[in-house]
Amino acid sequence: MKKATAYYLMLLLLVAGLRLPAAAQSKGQDVLIRNATVMTAVKGTMEGTDILIQNGKITKIGKGIAAPAGVKTIDATGKYVTPGIIDCHSHTMLDAINEGSLSVTSMTGTRDVLNNTDITIYRALAGGVTAANILHGSANSIGGKNTTVKFKWGHPIEDYPIADAPPGVKFALGENPKRSNSQPQPGVQPRYPQTRMGVIETDRDALIRARDYKQQWDDYRAGKTKVPPRKDLELDPLVEVIEGKRLVHAHGYRSDEHLNLMLLADEFNFKVATLQHGLEAYKIAPEIAKHGTGVSIFTDSWSYKLEAYDAIPYDAYILWKNGVVVSINSDSDERMRRLNLDAAKVEKYGGVPEQDALQMITLNPAKQLGIDKRTGSIEVGKDGDVVIWSGHPFSPYSRVETTIIEGETFFDRQLDAQHRIDMAKEREALEKLDVNRAPGSGGGPPRIPAEKRQSERDRSEFGEDDEDGGGNNR
Amino acid sequence: MRSKLLLLSVAAVCLFTAATSRAQTYAITNAKIVTVSGATIDRGTVVIRNGLIQSVGANAAIPSDAQAFDVNGSTVYPGFIDALTNLGIAAAATQQQGGRPNGGGGGGQQQAQQAAPASNSNYPAALRPETLVDDEIRAGDPSYDASRNAGITTVLTVSRSGIFNGQSAVIDLAGDSVSEMILRSPFGEHVTYTTAGFGTYPGSLMGTFSALRQMFYDAQRLQTWQKMYASDPKGIKRPEADKSLEALFPLLNRQMPIVFNANTEREIVRSLDFIKEFNLLGVIAGGQEAWKQSDRLKAMNVPVILSLNFPKRTAANAPDADPDPLELLRFRAETPKGAGRLAAAGVKFAFTSGGAAPADFFANAGKAVDGGLSRDAAIRAMTLGSAELLGIADRTGSIEPGKIANLVVIKGDVFGRDKFASHVFVDGKYFEQKEPTSNRGARGPGGGVNPGGGGGGPQLTGSYNITVEIPGQPTTGTLTLQQDGTNVTGSLNLGGSVSPVKGQATAGGFNLTSSVTFQGTSLNITLNGSLNGNNIVGNIDSPAGAVSFSGTKNP
Repeated sequence: MKKATAYYLMLLLLVAGLRLPAAAQSKGQDVLIRNATVMTAVKGTMEGTDILIQNGKITKIGKGIAAPAGVKTIDATGKYVTPGIIDCHSHTMLDAINEGSLSVTSMTGTRDVLNNTDITIYRALAGGVTAANILHGSANSIGGKNTTVKFKWGHPIEDYPIADAPPGVKFALGENPKRSNSQPQPGVQPRYPQTRMGVIETDRDALIRARDYKQQWDDYRAGKTKVPPRKDLELDPLVEVIEGKRLVHAHGYRSDEHLNLMLLADEFNFKVATLQHGLEAYKIAPEIAKHGTGVSIFTDSWSYKLEAYDAIPYDAYILWKNGVVVSINSDSDERMRRLNLDAAKVEKYGGVPEQDALQMITLNPAKQLGIDKRTGSIEVGKDGDVVIWSGHPFSPYSRVETTIIEGETFFDRQLDAQHRIDMAKEREALEKLDVNRAPGSGGGPPRIPAEKRQSERDRSEFGEDDEDGGGNNR
Repeated sequence: MRSKLLLLSVAAVCLFTAATSRAQTYAITNAKIVTVSGATIDRGTVVIRNGLIQSVGANAAIPSDAQAFDVNGSTVYPGFIDALTNLGIAAAATQQQGGRPNGGGGGGQQQAQQAAPASNSNYPAALRPETLVDDEIRAGDPSYDASRNAGITTVLTVSRSGIFNGQSAVIDLAGDSVSEMILRSPFGEHVTYTTAGFGTYPGSLMGTFSALRQMFYDAQRLQTWQKMYASDPKGIKRPEADKSLEALFPLLNRQMPIVFNANTEREIVRSLDFIKEFNLLGVIAGGQEAWKQSDRLKAMNVPVILSLNFPKRTAANAPDADPDPLELLRFRAETPKGAGRLAAAGVKFAFTSGGAAPADFFANAGKAVDGGLSRDAAIRAMTLGSAELLGIADRTGSIEPGKIANLVVIKGDVFGRDKFASHVFVDGKYFEQKEPTSNRGARGPGGGVNPGGGGGGPQLTGSYNITVEIPGQPTTGTLTLQQDGTNVTGSLNLGGSVSPVKGQATAGGFNLTSSVTFQGTSLNITLNGSLNGNNIVGNIDSPAGAVSFSGTKNP
């Protein structure tokens, strides 16, 4: 009898277990958002406006759009709609963050270790984030290749990378690559470089090697050599950097170092795409504007480490005033969910206009990542990546109601409430199964709460390195 | 003089032949015969001669010189195959490789030198695909006994260490030399998603992928270069003789499969991506979530060596602990159904114990049947299907005349906990099995077993040297037990950390609990096992998973 009951439960669970997340169910649905306050991020705020998304693209914006047959309609009366938020600096959904063994690890890439079961993706969606720059960590002078993704929760991993996003690579300057915050391991030779001048030398050396390597291939292709040169996965991305085909996202805090890197880029005739962090970039704002580089910063976090000592809350404002493309990033699975409030701070400190502040978490990161043709603002022809808010997105009392990517709903507060009920029922049934019941009594050590594991991972960006990269999480 | 020598050597050969050919003909009679390749014979005879199956049938004649075993209606199966193990590799050596240096004294250095034999490879120890398991296994290793006694005659075995684990071999679990044991070597190149260690490239999973990828590109180039040089060396720089890269040539040329140890869906997806990137013959091993990728596995014709080491909760959490995540609860419930789903999707698979004890190998195959797999398909995945995947189906895996005499007689339900392998034949060699006393009696209390009394249960008191098969880090230790009636107390010394154990003697074995500290974490564990003569085997269950152990009683 007992066995029969268990078997019946297993059958029930088979059905329950195979159920796909709600996100996947709404795939391909066209959607009409009605009567919202639309913050377009380019053409101001439009009251009582409809947005029609068809086949993943925004096809109409205006008042009183007639709903085509079969289109799902969302009444957004009294609500705000913004473009999906884009986080220009994230290490979420990664099974490894740093390959810290060598000073140059451009052969690695975050694409190989994306984890589409990471719950932080869903939580980011609940904060209105639709896309992110998934970066290698800052443990070394030149880190790995990035992946620019959209958070298509519930989809297979190959759906995440934005196919036409230009590729990028991580560079890092200062305390992290010179290992000033990490204890040398007994028996392990300290890694070169140990100083800021060593870091820039490592960069220059790698770029020279890449230039020579490119020459080898050019000679081979011109028939000057017989044996094909080695395909060097470390130098291939750096050749692309020199050729201007790969974006450099350069972690750094001190403005002298960021300036130094831009001079190095001039030497090799490429532009640095973004200065990441850049908490004292205001000191060199005209030089940055002249080089044509973007800056991606935190709006606060001043002085949390020595090289962030000169950070000021007016950094974004001064850069903006000098014509620099500025974005606000999180570099944190947790803060990623509240980037709207970080944009609000930019309005407060210095008085950046509302739309320009909104651009710093939408259109500007899209520009910096080279995806502004398809996303970052609410315009006809762009991807239907939009967020519906309960109120003004810069108010701490507002919440995300619905997050839509290419017309597909990936977060919905009402569906979420239903999921919680469903999952509680599912849990109750699953916990009764033999495999989920503890044999006998007694208690093992408590599991490390997921939040705690997460914060350990976040720290890796701030100098305490995740040398083994998380590895296999089992 | 010369003729005398010749005479002597002839005599020696005769003597030798006589010794090895003694009693090489057997007949198993009165048996139900599950041939796997053909119909099951309800009652018949299997004749074994000179290591091969001579005849099979309801009316097969019993040769006059045969030693006959009337098995009274028990079932004969082909010898079972465990499609991925680490059997035969000297535990001590592996431990030195995988272990952490304690104290960093001279002893540790010496150990490291022993563990990593001198190699002129250009690559770190973790990235040497040329390693052959043939060189690591030993004939007569005690680790074979528990599997063979349970009816597993044949296994695929490979080292655990490194990113490249090296090349595996299919071996029969009997033989006086390694060369005699091997059925097929090498089978494939095995890969584990691990790193080269702290401070060494690759030191992260991300680096592991790029390091693997670079080696395959380099091997492609070296192969092209060597061919160019072989056809005309003039004017071309001499290519290096790089044995690590050369070991990848058969993989690039699709002459040898690459076996990825991958359990989670994303590990499987990454493996399939890699297989596709270099157009390799791929195999997934472990495959706990393989059913989620069954369409792609089928489309890419990638088989699965599917682990029967099913996840289960092994200890209660502390009252203030977080509840188990829903995904973990689902994972435990869904994994036993994976085999049925792979079968339904048409994905080829073979079962591996995944490090679980032989008793669990069979019992969990039964759980796969409960989870939707047909009984025949389950048997096939442990016999002929496994042999097909391993490329030895022309020799073994079914009961057919001319095939290797790998056979096992099972009394009771093969998937039941009370089954007993009464006769095991490996390469025609007979291994007699003594039925545990307890299995004769009724189960439960009052079953006539009196562990404390005369001859009922085993006398557990004593000290045992055991090896715990922790994946990637087999660990040796000492289990000391004191039996008083049915109460058992004692201690477990594992890697220098001593913990008290206590529990009960059971019919044929013991059931103990302990709390051990392993790698800085305190774990509540249970030890279940049995004692057969001086051999101890069993399972350790912990929140981190189940592992098997085996060992011998110290005299």
